[in-house]
Amino acid sequence: MKELRDLTRKLLADGDAGVVIGWEEGRRGARPAFITTPDDADKLIFDARCVHNLANYLNPRKPQVKALGKPAVVVKGCDAKAVAGLLREAQLTRDRVILIGVRCGGVVQTPEMPAELTEATVATRCYGCDVREPKLVDHLVGDARPEPPVTAALDRRIAELDALSPRERWQFWTSQLAKCTRCHACRQACPLCHCERCITDKTQPQWIESSSHLRGNFAWHLTRAQHLAGRCVGCGECERACPVGIPLSLINRKLQLVVKDLFDYTVTDDPEVPAPIGAYAVDDKQEFIE
Amino acid sequence: MSAATGTALFLSDENLGNLVAEIIAAGRRLVAPARDPQAAVGGSADYRYISSAAELAFGDSLPRMSLKGFFLPQSEVLFKWHRKGADVEIEAVPTEFPPQIVLGARPCDTAALEIVDQVMDWGLRDELWFGRRNATTIFNLSCPVEDASCFCHAVDLNPDATRAADGMLTPVPGGYLVESCTEKGAALVEGHKALFESGDTGAAAERSAAAAQYRAAARAKVAADLQIDTTRIKEWVGDHFDDEFWTALGPRCNGCAACASVCPTCHCFDIVDEPEGVGHGARRRNWDTCQTGVFTLHASGHNPRADQNSRFRQRVNHKFFIYPSRFGEVLCTGCGRCSRVCPEGQDLAEVLACIDELARA
Repeated sequence: MKELRDLTRKLLADGDAGVVIGWEEGRRGARPAFITTPDDADKLIFDARCVHNLANYLNPRKPQVKALGKPAVVVKGCDAKAVAGLLREAQLTRDRVILIGVRCGGVVQTPEMPAELTEATVATRCYGCDVREPKLVDHLVGDARPEPPVTAALDRRIAELDALSPRERWQFWTSQLAKCTRCHACRQACPLCHCERCITDKTQPQWIESSSHLRGNFAWHLTRAQHLAGRCVGCGECERACPVGIPLSLINRKLQLVVKDLFDYTVTDDPEVPAPIGAYAVDDKQEFIE
Repeated sequence: MSAATGTALFLSDENLGNLVAEIIAAGRRLVAPARDPQAAVGGSADYRYISSAAELAFGDSLPRMSLKGFFLPQSEVLFKWHRKGADVEIEAVPTEFPPQIVLGARPCDTAALEIVDQVMDWGLRDELWFGRRNATTIFNLSCPVEDASCFCHAVDLNPDATRAADGMLTPVPGGYLVESCTEKGAALVEGHKALFESGDTGAAAERSAAAAQYRAAARAKVAADLQIDTTRIKEWVGDHFDDEFWTALGPRCNGCAACASVCPTCHCFDIVDEPEGVGHGARRRNWDTCQTGVFTLHASGHNPRADQNSRFRQRVNHKFFIYPSRFGEVLCTGCGRCSRVCPEGQDLAEVLACIDELARA
């Protein structure tokens, strides 16, 4: 922790960064912190409750963050994948951000939970994580942490849903999407949802109905899924933000599996590797045409 | 604030089940905290239409969403239209609703309805809102207080408040003490009176004491959470529109507006026309919120609230300055849902404490 705080003090005192975005202690657990003066550096924390994907604050369409000056952002491995996504999609240039990597041993599901990692508390996304030590960073802090407990709960649930008949699966998703209030918290929480104007906010024409009837809700969630295929880093922030508890990670994880199968692509923290949506290969599978 | 005036009756756990069964057998719609049988995640109750007493989850934590959706649905049809040659025919929707009963509403959710009544009857009476209000009988569940994010006492309520309620249930060993505080509430009890035990039995005094103790404990618990003066806050917010305070709050907020979805008093809506085929369609109103960019986006492309700083300021302004200026009370019942649901840890109680501190200085 001292390493992170000292670095923050230095970056702010030297004027290298206008704001250091990390985590602090809130009344309901860890939460994002915006440190703008060296004196506040000691507020920063990092432990298994720091679940938030802070790459979301690098979205170029957040003027309230831009106003604070050049950002230095603390990133876990999964957050770094989202930063790589923003770089890959030309939403950010590498010289406009300072990345402080933290070695991560997994996070719990919500920031209010105690920091102890068990099979029951560990976030589903930590299963199979391949970036415990983020690359792509300017500074790397913290000691190596042990591997988190393994939970394959998400993949188990996907296998269960895959085993259902189409009608049963339809009923399951109907019951889930019926709850959607169309607040679009999922979109706002997503570090890769960075469109200047989201398709669901467009009115001329109104591609997607804004009403929260099933027709509108299915149109929204299907479009969202399509737009994130091969881009979603699986951070689970959309599901955590959803006020009505729609299991969006099931959709995102399924998409990752489909993209892996069709294009042999796994989301990476290397911004030089093109995502399937921005690349063409003559040997792409084309089974869907048959 | 109305007080519970009826004599307290006892409703055993078993008879609560019988009451639910009788209400449903009589063909009346019943809303209560219940779990989603299909839920893949989360275990907390929501207010739902229930079909059997087995679904009741009175002991669960505060329902995730407030009660408002039963009065202002997320999406509702205002009228339908059919094109007939050069004319358009309008098909009205009913503004009278079949009776519905709510059992186990939290006092903060019920009180919110009466606060929102004011804006729904401001110049123009919202027939759909009041149609549902008039058709509904609400019995509160005296609240045990959820956690440290509750602050109902700081906004002139209490965990055992009966504002806008027709009655209240207070948990006691073996069941509930039931008080009715309106004619509608008394009528519900009268209609099922065989299920209620009168207050004359020997156990009554013990039960009264248990209920009083339960309520006092809840009041003491919530009173420890937040000490503020909403009048002082109103003045400060009104006088400090351009204060730097707001620019410190905006960056954390990602504009997801989950706070407004779960809020019992947020009531803004958008109106849309949706075709449902060729030559016919529906006009609907849908929940909307000042936390999104498109809420204030002008047709010209200009947006008077161009960043999250100004949108978060608007949320606090509307609740603690604009609404009390117009209607004499704050647009908040202290349920704490906004703090619980915020994925980024924005905390309204903390914000209010900061403003109170600034106002005192």
